[in-house]
Amino acid sequence: MEKVLFLAHNEEGGGLSRACLEALSAARDLAQGLGAELAVGLFGGEVSGAAEAIGGCGAACFLAAAGPVFASSRYASDAAACEALCRASGAGLVVAAADSRLSRVLPGVAQRLGGRIDTHLTGLWVKDGSPAAARWFYRQRMVAEFTRSERPWLMSVESGCFEAFDGPGAVEPEPVAVDLSEACKRTEVLGLETPSADEQTIRPDAELLFVAGAGWTKKQADGRTHVKEAEGLILDFLNRTKASLGSSKSLVDISGEGHEVISYLTHLHQVGQTGATPRHPKGLAACCHGEEPHVVGWRFIGERRAINLDAGCGWAQGKADVLYVADAFEVLARLNELLARA
Amino acid sequence: MSASPGSRDQEMERQSMDADIVCVGFGPATAGFLTTLCRGLAEAGAAAESAVMPGMPPQVLCYERAEDIGFGVSGVVTRARGIRASFPDLDLSRIPMAAEVGSEKVVYLLDPVGASRRSPALRLIERLIPRGRKDHAFELPWIPSFLRKEPGLVLSLGQFCQWVGGQVMASGLAQIWPGVPVAGPLFADGRVSGVRLADQGVDRQGRPEAGHMPGMDLRAALTVVGDGPVGPVGRAIDERLGLPAGHHRREWAVGMKMVVDLPEDCPLEPGAVLHTLGYPEPEIFGFLYVYPENTASLGIFVPSWFDNPARTAYRYLQHWMLHPYLWRYLKGGRLRSWGAKSLQESGRAGEPFLVGDGYARIGEGSGSTNVLTGSGVDEAWTTGVQLAEAVLELMAEKRPFSAENLERTYVARRRASWVEAGARRAAKARDGFQRGVLSGLVGMALAGLSGGALNWPGRSRRPHERIPSLEDYCRGLIPAEDLAALRRECAAKGAALHDAVMDRLGWPEIPFDGRLLVSHQDALLLGGKVQAPAGYADHVVFKDPSVCAACGTRTCVEACSGQAITPGPEGGAPLFDREKCVHCGACLWNCSQADPDDPEASNIEFRAGAGGLHSAEN
Amino acid sequence: MSAGFHIVVCGSLVPDPLQTLEPIRGPQGPGLKNEMMLPAILDPWAGHALFEAANLAASGGKVWLLSMGPKAKLQQVMMSVAQKAPFELVVLDGPAGGFTDAHFTARALAEAIEGIAGLDRSRLLLFGGWQSASRGAGSTLQMVGERLGVLDQFQGVDEIRVQDDGAFVVKERVEGGGYLVSRCAGPPAVLGWATGNLPEPPNNPQLGMANMRLIMPALQRAEPVPAEPGGLSFASVELPKARRETRLVKDLPPAEVAADILAWIKS
Ligand SMILES: Cc1cc2nc3c(=O)[nH]c(=O)nc-3n(C[C@H](O)[C@H](O)[C@H](O)COP(=O)(O)OP(=O)(O)OC[C@H]3O[C@@H](n4cnc5c(N)ncnc54)[C@H](O)[C@@H]3O)c2cc1C
Ligand SMILES: Cc1cc2nc3c(=O)[nH]c(=O)nc-3n(C[C@H](O)[C@H](O)[C@H](O)COP(=O)(O)OP(=O)(O)OC[C@H]3O[C@@H](n4cnc5c(N)ncnc54)[C@H](O)[C@@H]3O)c2cc1C
Ligand code: SF4
Ligand code: SF4
Repeated sequence: MEKVLFLAHNEEGGGLSRACLEALSAARDLAQGLGAELAVGLFGGEVSGAAEAIGGCGAACFLAAAGPVFASSRYASDAAACEALCRASGAGLVVAAADSRLSRVLPGVAQRLGGRIDTHLTGLWVKDGSPAAARWFYRQRMVAEFTRSERPWLMSVESGCFEAFDGPGAVEPEPVAVDLSEACKRTEVLGLETPSADEQTIRPDAELLFVAGAGWTKKQADGRTHVKEAEGLILDFLNRTKASLGSSKSLVDISGEGHEVISYLTHLHQVGQTGATPRHPKGLAACCHGEEPHVVGWRFIGERRAINLDAGCGWAQGKADVLYVADAFEVLARLNELLARA
Repeated sequence: MSASPGSRDQEMERQSMDADIVCVGFGPATAGFLTTLCRGLAEAGAAAESAVMPGMPPQVLCYERAEDIGFGVSGVVTRARGIRASFPDLDLSRIPMAAEVGSEKVVYLLDPVGASRRSPALRLIERLIPRGRKDHAFELPWIPSFLRKEPGLVLSLGQFCQWVGGQVMASGLAQIWPGVPVAGPLFADGRVSGVRLADQGVDRQGRPEAGHMPGMDLRAALTVVGDGPVGPVGRAIDERLGLPAGHHRREWAVGMKMVVDLPEDCPLEPGAVLHTLGYPEPEIFGFLYVYPENTASLGIFVPSWFDNPARTAYRYLQHWMLHPYLWRYLKGGRLRSWGAKSLQESGRAGEPFLVGDGYARIGEGSGSTNVLTGSGVDEAWTTGVQLAEAVLELMAEKRPFSAENLERTYVARRRASWVEAGARRAAKARDGFQRGVLSGLVGMALAGLSGGALNWPGRSRRPHERIPSLEDYCRGLIPAEDLAALRRECAAKGAALHDAVMDRLGWPEIPFDGRLLVSHQDALLLGGKVQAPAGYADHVVFKDPSVCAACGTRTCVEACSGQAITPGPEGGAPLFDREKCVHCGACLWNCSQADPDDPEASNIEFRAGAGGLHSAEN
Repeated sequence: MSAGFHIVVCGSLVPDPLQTLEPIRGPQGPGLKNEMMLPAILDPWAGHALFEAANLAASGGKVWLLSMGPKAKLQQVMMSVAQKAPFELVVLDGPAGGFTDAHFTARALAEAIEGIAGLDRSRLLLFGGWQSASRGAGSTLQMVGERLGVLDQFQGVDEIRVQDDGAFVVKERVEGGGYLVSRCAGPPAVLGWATGNLPEPPNNPQLGMANMRLIMPALQRAEPVPAEPGGLSFASVELPKARRETRLVKDLPPAEVAADILAWIKS
């Protein structure tokens, strides 16, 4: 019989991230559909809080590889911990979140176990008694459904595709011994560099994604550019709505090439074919024209609206629910006023 | 020595390198040259030795402006006489999108919407055409032999060039470098001594920026100029040496095309060839060639003698596709690719000095295109083959690439060949179009049927001498005050005038379907995949902004194939956006004003630039 | 000590980003319609890795570019890539499409690396893109690293700073626009690059000529990689069908547009 292991790491504060809770739902559904046993494997500095957060998930066992050496995200120690948890569980199917820490380590773990891996799954279900999965290819241009016969089969699931699991309960995870050689400690994690609160414009948990296009830096009707004004309008809007900021490639490229720039934009903001495809319930794009392949930047945004002077805007036509044919400068200024009053 | 445009890089060191042969551009002409040359070098083995790297085979380099070989634009139907001679065992299944010509038709299209401009004489003749056809067209019962392409091939120029280029490179005897615009020729001691590549790491005005790299100088015993109809290297040589007496380059056309996935139930067979005339304007000719797997290459030619100052190839292309005769085949189809390119239509009359000390010209830029048969690919290929044979001969004789030696070997071969015979027959075939469509058609028929002995004479005028004001063009159709209002509206929007004018002239709105009928911008993106790398200077430059400021007939804006030229602020030159430019070169001859210093030239300079189309199907 | 890095950059080709892609089903499983006709480029993230590698090796060391793909296509793409950075090419004539199992690709690449003459594995930095633009899995490099026994691995890298003692500091992308900063004692290590910090280098014809001396022989030498039957089977590959009905709101004063948007945000 198949056995499903849910693999996760604790957050800084002790609990589990939303992405991990979503992956747990995927793992549970899978186990249920297969009539398989569910196991939980947790790693990190201190995992008891994380275990309790999901104690009610119905897993047959809770395994833990915890301790200060596993506290920070380092490939070698994470790989050793995950390998040990997988082996101890004896699971043929392993499900985890596709966050940065797990995405880095899982493929190596699959290699060590002699298994296979599929990442960034957007769907996972049971078909004809076997697991079946969906994921996107060619930078979100096409979606495939597939299955595989090899075991162990490791899978990471994208955030935003499953409901987050909610079911705390008291549990005492069973420690799993990890053999960590000195060679695993050649890398020392120095810390996290987070953008300061003012610059904090990427907010994965935000309700709304605001996508800015190169139009903000283009000559406007008066024949001049208004980049400083754009910078102020956008930042003001983000701070008032707590929206997350995305950008077209053109706009971040301009920012990198020494023209007058939107100072807080970096390549991390880029959405699209060679950028991110974030998931948010709503998205508002302004001054983007884009091109068919790059509009995948908001493929996973729920409701979409766009503002553009051009009614033929390629970023919106057939892709957005509403296109406002209007001057984004004026609209955003009014919007900020309304937000200030609200 | 010609400096690369806009460079102010005295402080930076410019690299230079020596080669034996350097080629500019990789179109069919250079493809024919390199195919023949590499085969010859392989046969010669150690006997062919490099002068600059003794002990090695000759160093043969080719620089192509576009980001990959095969990003060119053409029809193509061809008799493929020269191509077949180079590939006697040609297996078409190895070249995607190739087929033998099956059926041929020439179709006269009547105007189903009543918006085109037809002369009274033409209207009269049209009345004689059998009525009652619901597809508003008339298939010519007989195709004159000079227009026939059977037995021939339909090809995709892009796929053909990729196929040839792959073999040339795999031979290891020549290198083809895409993404490298050649800025201009180098002259030393009265001879062409090589080429200079375009500067990189510069701003739009050509001023050094981060990552500045002055374009390298390549010195070579022979420079092969195959840069096509609007190539800046060929034109720089012409500027320096002039054209042979009596020659000029005043006739042009822009060809705009699409590659289309035909609807599933389309009855057209691979190899079917359709040529149209009569619509959307009598001056505009069209073509539709069917490839295997239910795809087609189709498009129109808008000539320089079509005296409409708001001549927009894109809008006309859509009306042409929507003609009932064609639309019954195209409806439900899907756009795969799109592109545009100029054609040098002066033919033999535009032939430059074919050779000089250290250089030779091949292909359309050398006047090889046959303007009577509308055929350029096979002619270009063949001139390349002829030059390669000449070069191999001179190498074997260990003689220098002097004007005299090239004349004796290359030019002599060319003069004795079918290319020359065809060019002579065609030389005056199109002169009649200088007077009007009817005289043009009659002239073509006369020249074609008499083997060039007869023609309809017409004095050739420079494009800027022909272009009337919009007011003149619309006289009697749009009142002056309405036209003034349209001008104001479009200026406020920063838009070109042609759509407003055509709407006003009764052209119906295009029913965009998001598949085949898409906006011009979407054709650029979905079809042409147009993009431009950063770090290069603008290659379209308005020479004297004050001439533009005073120019009331901004044909450059109207005719731009990529909507890359826009009106700009009042009182200045138009704006140019290199990220939308498809390098068709139409702006070069679609300017209504003369260069203040050169009556033969216009107020636009068209230089070597990077980027453009990224489709290998056109 | 950076003088000593032996950097192997794994990177293959992908369709030029603006091409229209359509899946088809072939005898070997899914693929792209007209795959051989689509213009191709070096996978963008692998490209960044290559530029970073060249930059590191500029002060000493050596760069190999290891590419598995259809030979004819690779030949074409190399004419562009060769002008960008100095490297020695190692070619595997095999599939480059997105539907190839990363496990298969990783094995082929690892074996090729083991066969590179003159490569000092103690000085190895294994570079590549953190994902490919075809498969988008982000798993190949880790598996290659594991096969070569490399335990120090980094993904989503935007910066590497080499220190005097040969150690280096790496910045990896993490959630929320932040970076994880780590210090690694030295090679061997695996770095999967995101965008990095370097602009695309200009086309350098001289560099191209120098690279070409080794590229053509490498292409000629390239061995076909036999396909490996695996347990991965695709039930379907489809383009997303959803085309939204876009409601056009025109001629509304900005204040009303703003009010409309606000109501929507709050809803
Ligand atoms: C290898 C490669 C990878 C790429 N990857 C990506 C990618 O991942 N993501 C991506 O986005 N792009 C990508 N691109 C770039 C892509 O091709 C486009 O260049 C880009 O998406 C266009 O950006 P834009 O929409 O911001 O700018 P533009 O196309 O310049 O559009 C600007 C828009 O702003 C509008 N505008 C101007 N002023 C106003 C105003 N006052 N009010 C309202 N509207 C206004 C204009 O009407 C216009 O529609 C890639 C390109 C390449 C070559
Ligand atoms: C729409 C259309 C349809 C046509 N249909 C037919 C047809 O059916 N049959 C037919 O026989 N002919 C047809 N022609 C004509 C035919 O395409 C040309 O005659 C032929 O391509 C000329 O070949 P060439 O090698 O001389 O030049 P080109 O094909 O123009 O090649 C020149 C090359 O040089 C490059 N280049 C230019 N400047 C530089 C520079 N500065 N540095 C480096 N590279 C540079 C260009 O990018 C190009 O690749 C058609 C043309 C068009 C536009
Ligand atoms: S380039 Fe020529 S047509 Fe265009 S505005 Fe200037 S003068 Fe007029
Ligand atoms: S600007 Fe570019 S696209 Fe426009 S006409 Fe000139 S060459 Fe053609």
